[in-house]
Amino acid sequence: MGSNQSTPKISAQDRAILDMKNQRDKLRQYQKRITVITDREKSIAKECLARGNKEKALLALRQKKYQESLLAKTDSQLEQLEKLTSSVEFALVQKDVLYGLKQGTQVLQQIHREMGGLEAVEKLMGESEEARAYQQEISEALAGQMSNEDEDEVEDELERLEQETVVLPKAPSQGLGHEVVHDAADGIVDDHDLPDVPTSIAGHDPERLQKQRERAKARKIALNA
Amino acid sequence: MATASSSLTTSSMFTFPPTYSFPPFFSPQPNAQTRSAQLSKWSSLVQSYCRHHRIFKLLLSDALESPLFHNSKLMRRLSAHDAKAVVDYMTSKEGGNRAEWIGPATEKASAWIWWRRPEEWAGVLEAWVDGTGQKGTVLTLYELVEGEATENQEFHGMDMEVLRKSLGTLVKKGKAQVFGGEGQEGVKFF
Repeated sequence: MGSNQSTPKISAQDRAILDMKNQRDKLRQYQKRITVITDREKSIAKECLARGNKEKALLALRQKKYQESLLAKTDSQLEQLEKLTSSVEFALVQKDVLYGLKQGTQVLQQIHREMGGLEAVEKLMGESEEARAYQQEISEALAGQMSNEDEDEVEDELERLEQETVVLPKAPSQGLGHEVVHDAADGIVDDHDLPDVPTSIAGHDPERLQKQRERAKARKIALNA
Repeated sequence: MATASSSLTTSSMFTFPPTYSFPPFFSPQPNAQTRSAQLSKWSSLVQSYCRHHRIFKLLLSDALESPLFHNSKLMRRLSAHDAKAVVDYMTSKEGGNRAEWIGPATEKASAWIWWRRPEEWAGVLEAWVDGTGQKGTVLTLYELVEGEATENQEFHGMDMEVLRKSLGTLVKKGKAQVFGGEGQEGVKFF
């Protein structure tokens, strides 16, 4: 019965536990036997007393007492045995828990190794921080700066349209691609109508306008260069 | 061991089916159809009787004198031959394999009455082990049958041989392992 393919599932510990449990069973059986004996001695004592044989009754009771002391002893032994058995079983559980912890730690370490250690993480975090900062710069360059410059340019153009209608044609050629150069003339005509809207803003602050014009000129020069 | 003789005396009231008070029930019926119905009635009577008295091994000679095969009120009894026929029927496939002769086939003196077949017992045991979280722990066969922990279980006090048989079906399925020396076996459920 015990020698088919699933035998290895029974470990030496299992056998040791079985031995202890068998021992416990034997003690239990022994206790049963003693209980039967004490009961019998008691009935013997009663019988003897009924027959007036005090001596024999006493003997039987003494016998009973002795058996009872044995019973108490086996009780404590049984307790010891059960304690030991549960300790062993608990230790086995602990072993399993430890094994589980070990396994988990290994997996965790493996994952950490795959992540390349703390340095790599720090490096990566630094890099991503840099990249983010860079992205921020780009965004600013694209959004923030553009809006400033756009504003300036729009205002510039307004200014120029207002005052330097003859010099203007050159301006769009910078802002737009070269293929648009041809349309420069048209642009002038179209733009000619525009001024109405911004005049109020342009007229608001002559000093600012002046500055912007200067700035625009400087930029134009720089771009031309 | 729950032999027939010891268990038959320790009985609370068992209510026999109405057919038990019907005299022709005790003599073999000539008509094949009636005979088959009669045997099936006997089979269920033997099973419920054994279940009630927790008889695992039925000793035919004892049973013939017991109320099972002997209706003292009717003064009717099953003959040894007819009792054997009933058990024979129970061992057959037609009778649902509810019995099994013990020893050589020619003897037919005692039989296992499977009011619960070993694999059915195995299911009960397994459910108990599962329900009490004892998978993977070593249990002695003695404590399964006689232990305090199983006192209110159906398999408490069950025949050791039947226990071994039902554990055997679990072993075959790889759900348990029996080990240890003769009379000191332990079992580990998986």
